[in-house]
Amino acid sequence: MNEAQTILEDSISRLFADSVDRELLARMEHEPWDAGLWEACVELGLPQVMVSESRDGMGGSWVEGFIVARACGRYAVPLPVVEQMLAGHLADHAGLAVPEGVAGLLPEIIPGSAIAGSTVSMTQRRVPWGRRADWFLGLGADGELLIIGKDGSRCEAETNLAREPRDQVVLQASPILARGASGLPAEAVRWLGALLRSAQIAGAAAACLEMSVKYTSDREQFGRKLSQFQAIQHHLAEIAGQMAAVDTMALEACVALDQRGLAATGRDARFELAAAKCRASEAVEPLTRLSHQVHGAIGFTYEYDLQFLTRRLWSWRAEFGAHGEWGEYLGSIAQREGGDGIWAYMTA
Amino acid sequence: MTLPKEYGGHGRSALERYVVVEETLAAGAPVGYHWVADRQSGLMVARLGTEAQKKSIIPAITSGEACFAIGMSEPNSGSDLASVKSKAEKVADGWLLNGTKIWTSNAHNATHMIALFRTDFSPDAKHKGLSQFLIDMKTVRGITPRPIRDLTGRGHFNEVSFVDVLLPPDALLGREGDGWNQVTAELAYERSGPERYLSCFLLLSELIKVLDGKASPSALAKIGAELAWAATLRNMSLSVAGMLNEGKDPSLQASVVKDLGCHFEQRLPGLAQELVAMEPTLSDSGIDYQQVLGNLMLLAPSFSLRGGTLEILRGIIARGLGVR
Repeated sequence: MNEAQTILEDSISRLFADSVDRELLARMEHEPWDAGLWEACVELGLPQVMVSESRDGMGGSWVEGFIVARACGRYAVPLPVVEQMLAGHLADHAGLAVPEGVAGLLPEIIPGSAIAGSTVSMTQRRVPWGRRADWFLGLGADGELLIIGKDGSRCEAETNLAREPRDQVVLQASPILARGASGLPAEAVRWLGALLRSAQIAGAAAACLEMSVKYTSDREQFGRKLSQFQAIQHHLAEIAGQMAAVDTMALEACVALDQRGLAATGRDARFELAAAKCRASEAVEPLTRLSHQVHGAIGFTYEYDLQFLTRRLWSWRAEFGAHGEWGEYLGSIAQREGGDGIWAYMTA
Repeated sequence: MTLPKEYGGHGRSALERYVVVEETLAAGAPVGYHWVADRQSGLMVARLGTEAQKKSIIPAITSGEACFAIGMSEPNSGSDLASVKSKAEKVADGWLLNGTKIWTSNAHNATHMIALFRTDFSPDAKHKGLSQFLIDMKTVRGITPRPIRDLTGRGHFNEVSFVDVLLPPDALLGREGDGWNQVTAELAYERSGPERYLSCFLLLSELIKVLDGKASPSALAKIGAELAWAATLRNMSLSVAGMLNEGKDPSLQASVVKDLGCHFEQRLPGLAQELVAMEPTLSDSGIDYQQVLGNLMLLAPSFSLRGGTLEILRGIIARGLGVR
């Protein structure tokens, strides 16, 4: 990381370390909004990290995006910071100004049949914080980016395992406020959403490791610290290895995306993006199992913070595709390139 | 490749070496003779050797004449390397070596060996009483390698006995008593390279070939997950090469790569058997896929043993986490 990136990471970490605590996390499970924290995120410029400077953004690359998303995972930030950041980036990519207010990132492709003139009618499932959205953003089948107003929409509240809002949004002749060619494939929200979740998983994994090291260093049984037992040390080492693997691949995918882009043709960054989410989702099982194992019964209680992380990890594993789906994609590339070609393809 | 130009090396960076090594391994090139010298021994001499040692050894490495063996483990000192008992006594005309080294790959071919001996025999000296020696296997007397066949039936490692071996005074490598720190740094070179995940990539390639476009979606998902691991390990291994390049100590990171890498390699033969109904074979029968599978299946137990057992590696990682 360069100096500017270190400063970015430090300032985000300071904000979240000071403001995201157990009380906030517990409260947000029932009233999932905190205007003060959201304002602080906006003030720090987090939604604008990947918006170009000509549109008053930070002009950051995906490495900066990774830093934000990893910190959001690290602190289990209970607000749609990464979704807002991605929505801003996509609007910017299409040459559109980013509207004021909270973005509702639509995970599904908007088919041509859902668009009538300048309105959209369709149901979108699992929209992060759909209930709080001031506007929606999604991609059409040809990669056209649509910014859609709230008028005519309704929302049914649903949540993931961590009680983060994943709402069903029904758009009924909702107005298209702006539209433009994104230059991205129609599936870009899924690809880039998967990358953000990979970075969040890396952050939450780092937090699980830190908590596990601290707990086992504090707690004594049989007259010595848990961390002095070799069996526990090996669990901690395995958590650390899984964390490092997820972190490395997610960062590498961001670097690849900055270099190769997402074009859906040729050797773009899709291999690395798929590898990042495949690796991250697969790692959730050992990460959560071992973190809970070394914490014993206390980690299974609501009063202890570990569950804020592990319930998110179990949710994020499946969001924007779990390891089976992304692994199948990677396997199909192997099949296409063949046994003699896959190494050259991977390292190209 | 990374050895200094003034001694006949290419003066390339660790990352440049990485690129070449990765491609030679991916192509299955025969690299055994110079492997240890290029990976670690040459670097040890370049870093710690006297001017005379550098001048006499490094040109022989860069010309491909010198073949190095590593003398670390002993019959009673495996993972507990600091307990080595082989002795190097300071005598009037140099050092007198006695003892036995074991699992010494290539000792029967090697022209040289860098070996760890005890130079301080006081009971509390443990880590501090060790020193490394640069041994010319072809000129000194009293060294006898005895080949040990591994479970594949081949003999690539040895038990090497040292009986009253007289080394010249300048055979000491680095500082007397600093052997433990030196050997720890040497192991970082050994633990992080692309060979830590690439020796089995060939099996993955052969598996893809033999499935011939007819894999089920769930088989594809399993192969894809291992490809994601391969890509991850490659990037982790590259970042260790980057640390070596910057002169940082990557011991901890190298241990993480080797721990994850050996699990990856040891999983693959089982996955292959799950996906394809073909028996593993020796080189006398079967198609390429079966032979590669058979060969790797037999070698697989060694992946989590050589260069530090996974238990030792996890101990190093735990120490890095501050719990040891």
